[in-house]
Amino acid sequence: MNKTILHLDLDTFFVSVERLINTALKNKPLLVGGLSDRGVVAACSYETRGFGVHSGMPMKMAKELCPEAIAIKGNAGTYSKHSDDVTEIIKEHVPLFEKSSIDEFYADLTGMDRFFGSYKYASELRQRIIKETGLPISFGLSVNKVVSKVATNEAKPNNQLKIDYGFEKPFLAPLSIKKIPMVGDKTYQTLRNLGLRQIRTIQEMPVDVMQRVLGKNGTVIWKRANGVDNTPVIPFCERKSISTERTFDKDTIDVVMLNGILIAMTENLAYQLRRGEKLTACITVKIRYSDFNTYSKQLRIPYTSADHILIPKILELFKTLYNRRLLVRLVGIRFSHLVSGNYQINLFDDTEEILNLYHAMDYIRKRYGDKSVIRASAMGARTIGRMHNPFNGQPPIVLAHRKQ
Amino acid sequence: MKFIVSSTYLLKQLQVLGGVINNSNTLPILDNFLFDLKQDKLTVSASDLETTMSSVLDVDSDNEGTIAVPARLLLETLKTFPEQPLTFVVEDNNTVEISSNHGKYALAYADGAEFPKAVELANPSETTILGDILASAINKTIFAAGNDDLRPVMSGVFFQFSPENLTFVATDAHKLVKYQRNDVSASQVAEFIMPKKPLTLLKGILAGSESDVLIEYNDSNAKFTFDNTELICRLIDGKYPNYEAVIPKENPNKLTISRNQFLSSVRRVSIFSNKTTHQIRLKIAGAELNISAEDMDYSNKAEERLTCSYQGDDMQIGFNSRFLTEMLNNLNADEVSLEMSLPNRAGILTPVDGLDEGENVTMLVMPVMLNN
Repeated sequence: MNKTILHLDLDTFFVSVERLINTALKNKPLLVGGLSDRGVVAACSYETRGFGVHSGMPMKMAKELCPEAIAIKGNAGTYSKHSDDVTEIIKEHVPLFEKSSIDEFYADLTGMDRFFGSYKYASELRQRIIKETGLPISFGLSVNKVVSKVATNEAKPNNQLKIDYGFEKPFLAPLSIKKIPMVGDKTYQTLRNLGLRQIRTIQEMPVDVMQRVLGKNGTVIWKRANGVDNTPVIPFCERKSISTERTFDKDTIDVVMLNGILIAMTENLAYQLRRGEKLTACITVKIRYSDFNTYSKQLRIPYTSADHILIPKILELFKTLYNRRLLVRLVGIRFSHLVSGNYQINLFDDTEEILNLYHAMDYIRKRYGDKSVIRASAMGARTIGRMHNPFNGQPPIVLAHRKQ
Repeated sequence: MKFIVSSTYLLKQLQVLGGVINNSNTLPILDNFLFDLKQDKLTVSASDLETTMSSVLDVDSDNEGTIAVPARLLLETLKTFPEQPLTFVVEDNNTVEISSNHGKYALAYADGAEFPKAVELANPSETTILGDILASAINKTIFAAGNDDLRPVMSGVFFQFSPENLTFVATDAHKLVKYQRNDVSASQVAEFIMPKKPLTLLKGILAGSESDVLIEYNDSNAKFTFDNTELICRLIDGKYPNYEAVIPKENPNKLTISRNQFLSSVRRVSIFSNKTTHQIRLKIAGAELNISAEDMDYSNKAEERLTCSYQGDDMQIGFNSRFLTEMLNNLNADEVSLEMSLPNRAGILTPVDGLDEGENVTMLVMPVMLNN
């Protein structure tokens, strides 16, 4: 049986939310993203795109290209809240959906034709979202995720598109190969060098050629170009790891500050673990020097979620990793090999005071927010940390340009 | 060098000694048994450098000599023989020839002098204990010892001898067992940490044994002598953690329950717990014990209710079910009691009945931190 897959995408989501909060920003060029020298554009309004601005570009460059644009720092918490509002509406109306990022949803409408007419139903859903949240949204409707996604991108901004069954190939044929999800700058260049421009050409090619050029990915891209994609709509996203990282405004060799940041990061992530009733068995420290060389080192440990075990281990890893006497551009940590469970208390190493302290600190954090109590040594890095629970089954909030 | 020995008698002794030999040895000579013949006494030894065990066998001979015979080859051969006398003759060309009723077999041997000598204990202290008591002391404690290479002291069993009693303790920092015998004592106070491997061997040999075991020890080695066998091993060097300090003294909440019922419930419920962390939750209120587990990843969930006798405040406590089942399995009481104070302090599991005269068992299990 043919499936009916709906792809919904909130147009310039961060920008739309900002405009919702402050109506004065409507129809004005708007940039959302980091405002510091190292900041990048997370989202940009359609007005700025004419100047060559796109998400992922350094904020500095964007401002040069479009000096009249208004730049806003943005607030991930607000965006998640609006995203949740949209999720609520979708959840109410469709039998099965997947939230694939903060502003994108897939819904499986297979079988609903018999009762409603999928296209009519999807249109009504879209109108409802626009009416209830005030956010512009576009959708694409077709037989699978890939074609629906491409259709949404074609429909944008604030529109909808249905690809009738059997017309997937002709729909894709005239489009640029860049439109295939998975084809980024690199692959695009490789394919352009082969003389490919339109998806049509890929459709006409034998699959072996693609495989020879791009390996396994070649086959996937060829399939996608032909409108073939069997990936299911997955309703729950399980976190396999949690991580955090920080790029500095200015490269640094201040080891005391770096340690402070690492402690703050570890403390925050360890709290996320405890809140989500998770334990980690693998910790990783990542470091990027000013020459953009990135190194990371990981360590297997017994399952734990306790600060006093994780912090010394992280610092030790960092000490062995940081050996180049170069300015540091970025540090980050990651906890992986996560399992559900609580911390197993140790007879000899854990005192009752420290356990009660954790308990009390976690209680305060739950009530007054993540950063209401922190270690003094981590005070220097007050902006580290996230607002939301990473274990709520939702995908991580990714900046728009990092989606693929 | 020549001797005659019964095949099954030899096999029985060699199989016990074979437990000492590691599967892969850095020193090739350690893959051998050392045969030391003195007239009609044959001393067979096996060693892994840490532990050396030897047995004296009665054989028919009037020769002397020492040779090292490949252990695996000899054991495999002996296993196949029915009861019969075997003649071992050492030939000139570095082989030892075994003659049976069926035929002849030649094994290359190494020079006995290459075999590492067992250490001699310098001015040891000593104590005597019944084999079966030692075996059950090992049996009751060894499962709680840890496997962490980073903390070697916890990978052994702590022997604490005093003129009043003998105490055996094992812990891996999450669970702890203290086994005390008040009916046996030592001449003076002594403490040492025995590694697991020789204890496992002793446990196997001594179970049900009625003979006395002479334990000699000094700072670095211990020697166990019984029947015709002798086991010398190196002790684990280091200071054993102060376990007495971590046993909570005041435990106002006391649960008494049938061991079998508790064990089978914990076992059943733990099937539904997370496959890595094995966590279960005990909720006690009034005379009801509620055991539950949940595996979020697969949406598996279980809950059981048991009646118990309970004195104390209502409480909720989380445990690793592995620890509980291991401990409950190791006891042979009909009723057990679990004493607790707070959800983040150790629970103390003790048998209510089924103990021998002078026997005392205390088991400690650390909970997991629960979120509430």
